[in-house]
Amino acid sequence: MENISNSNLGKAVIEIKNVSKSFGDNHVLIDFNLTLNKKENIVVLGKSGSGKSVLIKCIIGLLKPDKGSITILGNPINDVTLTEMDKIRAKIGFLFQSNALYDSMSVRENLEFPLRRHWIKINQNQVNEMVLQALEDVGLKHTVDMMPIELSGGMRKRIALARTLILKPEIILYDEPTTGLDPITAKEIINLMITIKEKYNTASLIISHDMNCVKIASDRIVILLEGKCYAIDSYENLTKSNDPKVKQFFE
Amino acid sequence: MKKEIGNDVKLGLFVLSSILFLILLLYMIGKNKNFFGSNLKIRSRFENVQGLKAGNNVRFAGINIGTVDVVNIIDDTTLEVSMNIEDKMKDIIKANSIVSIGTDGLVGNKVINIQAVKERERHIEQNELLPSRRAIDTDEMLKTLNKTNKDIGIIAENLKNTTNKINNSHVIWDLLSDKSIPKKIHASLENINQSSNKIKTLLNHSNEIVEHVMSGNGSIGLLLYDTIMRANLFTTIENFRILGKHANEISKQISYTLDSFNNDLHNSKGTIHALLNDSLLTHKIHTSVDNIDRSSSGLNEIIDAIKQSFLFRAYFRKIEEKKTRGLK
Amino acid sequence: MDESLSLKPFLKETGKVSKFTIRYLSKWFLPPYEIKELIRQCYVIGYKSLPLVGLTGFIMGLVLTMQLRPFMVEYGVESRLPTIVGIAIIREIGPVITALIFAGKIGSSIGAELGSMKVTEQIDAMEVSGTNPFKYLVVSRVFATTLMLPVLAILSDAIALYGSYLGVNIKGETSFKLFWNQIFEALEFRDVLPAYIKTYFFGFAVGIIGCYKGFFCEKGTEGVGQSANASVVIASVLIFILDLLSVQITELLGFN
Repeated sequence: MENISNSNLGKAVIEIKNVSKSFGDNHVLIDFNLTLNKKENIVVLGKSGSGKSVLIKCIIGLLKPDKGSITILGNPINDVTLTEMDKIRAKIGFLFQSNALYDSMSVRENLEFPLRRHWIKINQNQVNEMVLQALEDVGLKHTVDMMPIELSGGMRKRIALARTLILKPEIILYDEPTTGLDPITAKEIINLMITIKEKYNTASLIISHDMNCVKIASDRIVILLEGKCYAIDSYENLTKSNDPKVKQFFE
Repeated sequence: MKKEIGNDVKLGLFVLSSILFLILLLYMIGKNKNFFGSNLKIRSRFENVQGLKAGNNVRFAGINIGTVDVVNIIDDTTLEVSMNIEDKMKDIIKANSIVSIGTDGLVGNKVINIQAVKERERHIEQNELLPSRRAIDTDEMLKTLNKTNKDIGIIAENLKNTTNKINNSHVIWDLLSDKSIPKKIHASLENINQSSNKIKTLLNHSNEIVEHVMSGNGSIGLLLYDTIMRANLFTTIENFRILGKHANEISKQISYTLDSFNNDLHNSKGTIHALLNDSLLTHKIHTSVDNIDRSSSGLNEIIDAIKQSFLFRAYFRKIEEKKTRGLK
Repeated sequence: MDESLSLKPFLKETGKVSKFTIRYLSKWFLPPYEIKELIRQCYVIGYKSLPLVGLTGFIMGLVLTMQLRPFMVEYGVESRLPTIVGIAIIREIGPVITALIFAGKIGSSIGAELGSMKVTEQIDAMEVSGTNPFKYLVVSRVFATTLMLPVLAILSDAIALYGSYLGVNIKGETSFKLFWNQIFEALEFRDVLPAYIKTYFFGFAVGIIGCYKGFFCEKGTEGVGQSANASVVIASVLIFILDLLSVQITELLGFN
């Protein structure tokens, strides 16, 4: 794992260059460029269906871009084998929009799953310790033996977050973390995201519509329009913008 | 974790029980088919195995004791059946037991039956060749039965026709009801009998005459020198010859008539058949019987003529005298 | 199934299922092996289906015996009742009824489970977690169904035979030993083995169809129901088709 996290670490953790992706005639991403630096939170804003989810799925390797290159922690992922990709994935946390908790497994098994998958040589005591640590980070230590179906939406989101945290990732990708939650719970989640960032020094790429989230969590904001990076700037600068296409997001 | 181990145990039990049942199932079948633990092999030869296959049961006195292992063709008329049977049968089956092929039930699988014979003999050995018996082949049986049925059908049909004809035929009834025919036949036979008796005596007498002549007695001189006499003699001998011919013909005719009558009565074929259809025949029978009658009376006449012949007159007279004397 | 009015979607679907099957066949023996998941699936798929399969098997054996009795009596072969029921159960009823019940229970549950996993991104999450979802979900499940259906079918045979024994004894009296002997007198390897072997194919069909329908589930929660339904229908039809094929193959090989 040492060879993957190389010296370039100080600067960009994710570099996306000229990435294009289309589904049939639907051109979702066209020559998209983005750089995520270490300890930076970037929020991607865009209309529904503008290709935000496609973007992070390309980063995590669930989708393959048609054109362009993506480099994660100094490793280009265009032509890597599945095993190499899994090694890179171990460094990335991914919080799914629908949480994607395994229904058939308890909370503990859910958290153990990526741990055992990525770090095969790990003993049971270490696993238990890390599971409890991750649950403590999200404040849900008591749910360890419950099934996902028994938990509320907010709790599930936090368990899902704990599951992404358990591998101590360097990058966390959030796919609409506050969608479907009430404002108070959403706020809690956003605060949790910030706490985690402080604690583990992670870089984050957040896809969101939630202005609260955008306002609090973002270092920089990317506006995705028609498959391209239309604007990239801080929250303050963008709110002052006169461009109607930018303005529509902040009204 | 504990729960998971409990689940594993249940799964293990579940799978094991299934495997056990499968093994039991296969073992039971194998046991029934003698796949295990039977090394005793016996053989027998047949001309026709009637569809016997490897795996068919072998029975001794009705008990399953093994299975057919293989059927080998030795040559065009010999098939050798090898059987695997239970080892313990070695001390039971004797070497003179008879092997036959039968059927389990009327339409079941073929089975091999081994039957003990009530005679002393040693017990079988490994690879013993047992004598076989041609079994009752249901196929053949049915075939024969079929043919028999057909024949019976034809016979019945013929019988029916014959009976109908007899019933409808006036001729046969006339013939049967005509009481004069047997009487006539009887009379002719009587006549023939008489004639042949007479011929017999005549021939005996001629013999005696010839003996007389040979011994040189009587009228031999005359015979030798008188030409008229000689001509007479010739005629007499000629008469004799004709007589013989006639008698021969008559007896032939009678025997033929009687034979055909006989045949007719037994075979319902030939003359009687014709008889049934042909009323002319009755006539013919009448005529032939009449003819026989007439010929035999002709014979009698000839015999009388011979008696009258001067040559034998003296001889006959002598015999007559002897007869009358004898009677006295 | 809904769009099977014209031939093209049907052929397309068949092609996709075939591709999926080939993908399974080319993957299942390659590492990584998901042994633990396989055992868990065997437990869920096999052991948990036993009560249902056992119940149907028992009823099938009992009912078949009771239904056949009047005719056997009519033909004067009442004593052959165990034989005929035994052969029917071992050769056909056991495997096929078990497979159909199995398709109903397991086919639908696999279709629904994988379908909902697909819809709620759990399959993606697995891939992100360094797991090949195809191996973890599909291979383990298909392998489990392939292994478990024969196990279930054999147990179902046993239970059905017991049911038949009770059925024989409702009227008339037959000792268990006689019943047992009569069945095994008539049975041969060619009755048991083809019937046993075909259950592997039935199990495989149920697993592969359920997984296919679930793995490519679309249209959200509505799609999950459709996947579950289609899995059962297609798997059941496939079982009959495979049954037909198996009888023809055994006939062809001369084992029938």
